[in-house]
Amino acid sequence: MIASKTAWLSVAILLILAGSPSQVRAATPAAAQWSIQVDKIDPGDVTIEPAFVVAIYENLLVELGKKHQFKQVFRSGDQNAAGPLLILKTTVQKYSPGSETKRAVTTVAGATKLNVKSQLCTRDGQVVLEKVVNGNVRFFGSNLRATHNLAHNIAKELTKSTLPEPKGS
Amino acid sequence: MVQKSRSLLPYITLLILSGAHLAAQNPMHVTHILGFLDAANNANGDLSIHDGALQFQKKDAAPSAQIGLASIQDVVLGQQDRQVGGTPLILGRAATPYGGGRVIALFSHKKYDTVTLEYLDPNGGFHGAIFQLNKGQGDVLKSQLVAGGAHLKHTNLETTHDSK
Repeated sequence: MIASKTAWLSVAILLILAGSPSQVRAATPAAAQWSIQVDKIDPGDVTIEPAFVVAIYENLLVELGKKHQFKQVFRSGDQNAAGPLLILKTTVQKYSPGSETKRAVTTVAGATKLNVKSQLCTRDGQVVLEKVVNGNVRFFGSNLRATHNLAHNIAKELTKSTLPEPKGS
Repeated sequence: MVQKSRSLLPYITLLILSGAHLAAQNPMHVTHILGFLDAANNANGDLSIHDGALQFQKKDAAPSAQIGLASIQDVVLGQQDRQVGGTPLILGRAATPYGGGRVIALFSHKKYDTVTLEYLDPNGGFHGAIFQLNKGQGDVLKSQLVAGGAHLKHTNLETTHDSK
């Protein structure tokens, strides 16, 4: 009796695991037709170190490339950017500078926190998606790790979102 | 005696200045944090300027990565305070009883200079790269880059400071 229950449970888990990637792909069929261009990060009114701005931008390019959600990922200003193109605009809304030493000594203090507004726009400026995303580093790692976590979260949010069909397709 | 030492003073000054210039031209030992072409993140290597190009050579003699100094749009200095020792020390701290790890953490940190570069590739694509250098070397690298033809957006040479 217990053995059969375990067998059913294993089958159910396998089915769930096998089904999940296809569900993610099915949720954004239009995304595969779009290319994306990552715009320079706008610091907004926030005083943030240039290293963080650059790190967010570079990590975004890496994370978006890893997800294979878009046909191509272009840098800001790239003249090769063509075809159906979405532009990712990111504006920093909040930034709390942390300290690696404080984190190591106290565990609870010294977190680096980032909060940004990410917008996906078409070439004509129409916003097709807007998300507010956080990226923090609370325990281990350098302060710049917050930018990696933020970029990872933005890419994850884009993967979960449903994008419109490109015009003319 | 005093007159003799005074007459030697200009020569000594010249000697010191030329020595400093030579030292500045030598490759700098840096850690590439991210963004410099195909170089691996957190890779240690040497950064040098040759024929109007900035070159990063990894320690393991892998092919070097280089960009033209004219393509650099901005150079910004910063400071970072980081824990030293990497993963072995993190594990050591975690294993130390009676909160001793926290005391170790209090003393096992070091200040570094960071240099953030913004540059364009041949297609006009915007890139950013961050290097970590020993304290005091950031200014030297920045002045070398500017002397070599790198552009600066902000001429008021403001240094950003990471929190301690």
